[in-house]
Amino acid sequence: MSDRRLPRLLQTPSVLLLLIWMLIPLGMTLYFSFIRYVLNNLRRPEWTTPSISNWRGFGNYEFVLNNKDFLLAIQNSLFIVCSILFLTVILGILIAVLINKAFPGRGIVRVLLISPFFVMPAVNAVLWINMILDPVLGLQGIAVAGLNETIASLQDAPVVGWFFSLWPQLEPISFRATQTSAYAVIIMVTWQWTPFAVLIFMTSLQSEDQQQKEAAILDGAGAWSQFRFLTLPHLGRPIAIVVMIQAIFHLSLYAEIEIVSRGNGNKNLPYLIGEFANNNIGAASATGIFAVILANIVAIFLLRMVGKTLME
Amino acid sequence: MAIVAQSSKAGRISRATLAWIVGLLFFFPIFWMVLTSFKTDADAVKPEFLFFFTPTLENYLNMTENYDYWRFARNSVITSVFATIFALAVGIPCAYAMAFNPSRATKDVLMWMLSTKMLPAAAVLYPMTFLTKSVGLFDTHFMVIVVLMLINLPIVIWMLFTYFKEIPKEIIEAGQMDGVNTWGEIREILIPLAWGGIASTALLCFIFCWNEAYWTVRLTTTDAATLSKLIEGNRAPEGLFFGRLSAVSAAAVGPIVVLGWFCQKQLVQGLTFGAVK
Repeated sequence: MSDRRLPRLLQTPSVLLLLIWMLIPLGMTLYFSFIRYVLNNLRRPEWTTPSISNWRGFGNYEFVLNNKDFLLAIQNSLFIVCSILFLTVILGILIAVLINKAFPGRGIVRVLLISPFFVMPAVNAVLWINMILDPVLGLQGIAVAGLNETIASLQDAPVVGWFFSLWPQLEPISFRATQTSAYAVIIMVTWQWTPFAVLIFMTSLQSEDQQQKEAAILDGAGAWSQFRFLTLPHLGRPIAIVVMIQAIFHLSLYAEIEIVSRGNGNKNLPYLIGEFANNNIGAASATGIFAVILANIVAIFLLRMVGKTLME
Repeated sequence: MAIVAQSSKAGRISRATLAWIVGLLFFFPIFWMVLTSFKTDADAVKPEFLFFFTPTLENYLNMTENYDYWRFARNSVITSVFATIFALAVGIPCAYAMAFNPSRATKDVLMWMLSTKMLPAAAVLYPMTFLTKSVGLFDTHFMVIVVLMLINLPIVIWMLFTYFKEIPKEIIEAGQMDGVNTWGEIREILIPLAWGGIASTALLCFIFCWNEAYWTVRLTTTDAATLSKLIEGNRAPEGLFFGRLSAVSAAAVGPIVVLGWFCQKQLVQGLTFGAVK
């Protein structure tokens, strides 16, 4: 064909931009992670500017590894990501199968279901932690108080009163505490991302082989074995993709953590980096490098799993 | 065929009911936010006004006073629109080259682009702060636009690539025979043909830019602060301002949720890189 060089050249702006975007900040992070670099230090003012003479070797890495928040942050990151993945995939499959067959108002249900996915993360977190999960003023608090009141009034009722007097007073859960705030994050992100899983599984179910299914029914296969041996294998690839895309997004979860658990012990890696970055840049950078390594392990694993199917 | 349709009437009804319940449950938090936005701040935390209250528009009318909403909204619109335009301007030629003039490296380049998405943003937080501050770009629209464009560029290229791949190569080559140059091919043949795909890519990119909440929060203070920053800054009203906070939240997500309804299908194709259709 005609000149092919120009078309090839058209890729370069994108490639260059992404390369710069990746390499320069990452290179700086790597550099900062090997030097002493603190923003505020009155006694050692030379540490407040980055310089090779402040070389610290692996000192920052050691510091981070010995910091008890670091292991907690990694644990927390993985706990949050894995819980969300587990919940969204299970819920996604169940809901997708549920709405796969036509029923009155299916289009509206689809619209209702997909909506949470487009809510901006900051609003998602503010909405859930205040208006819904707040132990006193949120819906949770109101519901628990209402239940307690109902039970209390039933305790005086004849006949069944003794039964309700056995019930304990219900306590609302405060989702801003250290451990529970992780649950709050899991709840809100699951709410936001289940629709995404549903959408993808549903799209995939539409292309399921119906004849195969009819044959299975003729052979007397029940609903469960149809699901187990036909639907589930068919969903293999979409499940892998849902897992991969969500892992990418949730490993760098930030706004939700920041909004829900600012100031308490529940941190994930991005949050811990942000905390270090307020003063100790060396430690923030070393943590950043650990985050990159973790992301790479996950990425290599996932791309192996999904890469082939993407490229067909 | 008859066998498939055999499932009992009761079964079908309970299935439909369950589906509706699930749909309403998922939508409920959004509904609740909108409902609360029509309550006064005082009513919003009173159990007796849970569902029945005198609706008021005051929260929406006072958005400017309470939160300076329109300034943040303007920043969100400016940064998202320009980031999307630039991402398309760079991404279309790139996806064109990859789809119609692939080399042996194309697949690897595409994979590598995707992998840049996996780089945790937090890892480069401080260098970005440092760089933008030292060149005076911290808290400017330009910087937010560039960052938003860069983080969405891989997805934009992937989406465009999957759309372009479906256009028969012969059509593009026919243009080459007629002596149209490369720019002409893109402008006169490719863009009109792939208009739908480009539009949905743009829509999705715009949504992602609008909702972005890491860089927009960490790299802005006031001048270029977007709606994410506004909401994040009012994260803990301690029950004092549920009404007004709901109103500003609803105003921030409303347009995007509605836009989202129109691009469900494209979302699937785009986010799964064409692997699920």
